[in-house]
Amino acid sequence: MQKQWITLLTVLALLCALQLGTARAEGEPTRLTLYEGPKTMTSSADATVCVNGYELFVYDAMVNHEHIWNANTQPSTTPMTYFDFSGTAVVEVRMPGLDKPVESAEVLPLSRGIVPEVREGTVRFTVTEPGAYTVVFNGSVNKALHLFANPPEENVPDPDDPNVYWIGPGEWVMDAISLKDGQTLYLSGGAVLHSIVSVAGASDVRICGRGIIDGSDYPAWNQPGSTARVPIDLNHAKNVSVEGIILINSNCWNFNSYSSRNVTVDNVKIISGRQNGDGFTFQSCTDHVVTNCFARTWDDSLVIKNYSGSTKGITFRNIQIWTDLAQSMEIGYETDKGLTLDPEISQVLFEDITVLYNFHKPVISIHNSDDAFVHDITYRNITVEHAFMQGDNGINKELIEMTLQNSSWSTVRDEFGSIDGVLIDGLTVLSTADGRVPASRFAGQSEEHRITNVTLRNVTILGQPVTTLKEMKLSVNDYCEGITIE
Amino acid sequence: MKLLLCLAAVLALLLTAAPAEEGYPETVVTVVRAPEQTQAERPACFPDPSEHFVPLPETENLALSRPVIAGMHNDVYVAKNATDGKTDTYWESKGFPAEITIVLDGSRTVSAVAVCLNPSAIWEPRTQEIAVLVSADGESFTEAAAAAKYDFNAETGNRVCIPFAPVEAGWVKLVFTLNTSSRTGGAQAAEICIY
Repeated sequence: MQKQWITLLTVLALLCALQLGTARAEGEPTRLTLYEGPKTMTSSADATVCVNGYELFVYDAMVNHEHIWNANTQPSTTPMTYFDFSGTAVVEVRMPGLDKPVESAEVLPLSRGIVPEVREGTVRFTVTEPGAYTVVFNGSVNKALHLFANPPEENVPDPDDPNVYWIGPGEWVMDAISLKDGQTLYLSGGAVLHSIVSVAGASDVRICGRGIIDGSDYPAWNQPGSTARVPIDLNHAKNVSVEGIILINSNCWNFNSYSSRNVTVDNVKIISGRQNGDGFTFQSCTDHVVTNCFARTWDDSLVIKNYSGSTKGITFRNIQIWTDLAQSMEIGYETDKGLTLDPEISQVLFEDITVLYNFHKPVISIHNSDDAFVHDITYRNITVEHAFMQGDNGINKELIEMTLQNSSWSTVRDEFGSIDGVLIDGLTVLSTADGRVPASRFAGQSEEHRITNVTLRNVTILGQPVTTLKEMKLSVNDYCEGITIE
Repeated sequence: MKLLLCLAAVLALLLTAAPAEEGYPETVVTVVRAPEQTQAERPACFPDPSEHFVPLPETENLALSRPVIAGMHNDVYVAKNATDGKTDTYWESKGFPAEITIVLDGSRTVSAVAVCLNPSAIWEPRTQEIAVLVSADGESFTEAAAAAKYDFNAETGNRVCIPFAPVEAGWVKLVFTLNTSSRTGGAQAAEICIY
């Protein structure tokens, strides 16, 4: 009897210890910051989203399901919302905007391993890590929900600092904001700013917050009477950081940096569905690091070009991409638009990139369409969840494409450059539109202008390791050398 | 024994359920409230700069919608943009010197010319050198204001006003010989106004 008591008490003690241990492991209670939407706006009619029982304000962001260029395209919208948290967030989603009740759902990126519960039209799942989450309903990308679960804000600037422009919650409009040396623009969560932000020739500038820059009140840039209004535009800037904000509904490019250096971008989210809605696009820049970002775009998502001088030292790390049009990771086409001496693009790293969807052109592309020397380019740990490249009039539907050929974007037409030293280490394709391995293509120009020393390593497509060029369906013309797959 | 087992089970259940409420984890929530607004407003940290704008004459703009004559332009920035009444469109010449002539509606007394750029703050400060000439017949021009450098700055509306002695004219020509902007090699004018 005494032994039984001892056993029972031991079990009880273990249960208590286990529970207390769990409580300690879970640490502090979940801390959740929610942002009311502006009183001038109404939450999306397409979706209701709650976190731990608290309802979020949901925005309608322009996206575009037309996976081919159309100068007069008409975008649709998809729901988007955000919050800050640490701990555990139970997310519940209902989708009254769909034409039928939600019967199934998928939470992307798949690598998170989140299996949502769907019950009576409500999707429920739990997140414990900050990041971007996309919910796809009923096997269709229509009205996919983009949910940005931010970490708690840190280093919030002092609103009383004379060098800080502080924009609080609410809906705001002004033509443009031009930031000078040493200035900070803080855009609070809950803010929707209809404007553009320019950093031209300035240094030591910070743009931060959780708010939204919204370009919806301007027609697409190519429409009569309109002009391009780039939400974040760096021009000959240096020592700039941009953190935490959301860009939606831009009427052209989204995050532009031209001839700038020492720029860091963290936790910036882009959703665009209008003409030339490129995501992060850098021309002739040096030392840029982009981390923990999201880009759903109706044109190239991550772009590097040369407009005036060379590019060197660009890192994209831990980025989620959804490319409705054009390429996901594009170097080119313009590699010497400024007709400079000995242009180069070098030391570029794409690392831990997840392509949720790519619908149009290649996922990985180097189109050296002018005369630059493109070298030391690395792609590491690239996951393509849906490689659905439909191409453009029968071309540009490759998984990887590298070319030394003129294009309609070429400035230099009688000279060519070269591509040397490219490493693709870790490329996983989870699904394709037809269930087959997509083709890839490398095309040099001549004996003098070649593609050399490209290594593919740790490639897995549709669950199968790919170890030969044939398995990779990689076509290589006569002007390529040192193309290997391991 | 059974009683003790039941107690243990209840205790374990209570401990498990303790942090949760309605199936949610214990949560400390902060809600950032939005201000009362009926329309989008200009952020208070950016005061309206228009009170510092260069004043323009309140008389009729004789150049509005009038035809213009100019040389080659850059890209889509055609000369007629300079008299279309909108500062979000502009004329940009291809190089220097750049001439642009506004054809007035008959002979008029003119005494000032305003050159306006887009007032947006994203237009960096720049200096343009401009001379103003007038003509009664469209062929023979005389100088109304000698070439001089004018500063354009968004803080003052990105516009300048060039006054001169009143004169009768049917044609007004502006000759640009400099633009310090780093983004173009030509003259720029979103609106040319004649008073």
